[in-house]
Amino acid sequence: MLFNPVSLLDKRYLITGAASGLGKATSILLSKLGAELILVDIDEEGLNDTSKMCSSNVIKVIINLYDISDLKAKIIDSVSKFGKLNGFVHLAGRPYISPLKSINEKTTTEVFMLNTYVGIELAKICTNRKIFAGESGSLVFISSVYGLVGSAANVGYAMSKSALHGVTKSLAIELAPKNIRVNCIAPGFIKTNMLQKISDSFNSEYNDTLTKLHPLGLGEADDVANSVAFLLSDMSKWITGSIMSVDGGFTAQ
Amino acid sequence: MENFLEQMAELFEVDSVNLQDEVIAFDAWDSLTGLSIIALADDEYGITITVNDILEAKTIQGLYALFNQKK
Repeated sequence: MLFNPVSLLDKRYLITGAASGLGKATSILLSKLGAELILVDIDEEGLNDTSKMCSSNVIKVIINLYDISDLKAKIIDSVSKFGKLNGFVHLAGRPYISPLKSINEKTTTEVFMLNTYVGIELAKICTNRKIFAGESGSLVFISSVYGLVGSAANVGYAMSKSALHGVTKSLAIELAPKNIRVNCIAPGFIKTNMLQKISDSFNSEYNDTLTKLHPLGLGEADDVANSVAFLLSDMSKWITGSIMSVDGGFTAQ
Repeated sequence: MENFLEQMAELFEVDSVNLQDEVIAFDAWDSLTGLSIIALADDEYGITITVNDILEAKTIQGLYALFNQKK
């Protein structure tokens, strides 16, 4: 058998946002590497699509991530049927483009809840002895270049993503004694539906400007999925608390 | 009482706890679990306790008495 250091055979992970975009691409790749997956999203149809494209054992769980008590109950129930988890990838998230003068508390709180706090709750649930498989522990958060550098009309989103960097580093220290690693990927702009929706609200120059921000061009969902696979695998067993820039050179400038 | 026992089971990462269970005998007992109990006492019971208080309480029953004595 060929040596495959990123093999995820006999490993189990929970993937949020699995119905589309980065979550879909990541689920398909992890599945190809042998991982068994709990696919989580609120979009049932999208989950069915992702599930059909996965080659390993997967289960679909429809969850409204804003409902924390439901999240916990459904994870516990899924794990009792599926087996204990080695970790999770929190890919669910939402953008929030708003200049300072139009920012509002309700939306900002919702953005923080989904992009950031749900990640903390997932960590709390999935590192409990009743849920964690006890070995090869790895948690991966997804932030953004805008968690690292500034841009106008982005303060709410930037808050939620930069907060994940602090979460990553704090949990890396707290969970190291349990041998659970915690890392974060900060992607540049990826060609997904979420980006398309944002681009549509601007003129065509916006797309040119975006492309120029990335010396290697815009990214593919697989570029992020590959990095997730590396951070979940034992190939990265000495890496914890890191913020990995996967951005085509965006933040190198 | 039932709610308290559920909270303890959660913090000690077990399905359920008994009143006579010793705090330091749980696999999950460590300084962070101690801090979690202190945080719970503050957040939900409005009382201030120390790690020493927890150790002196010894058992789940002792913790329950501690939480209610200081209330």
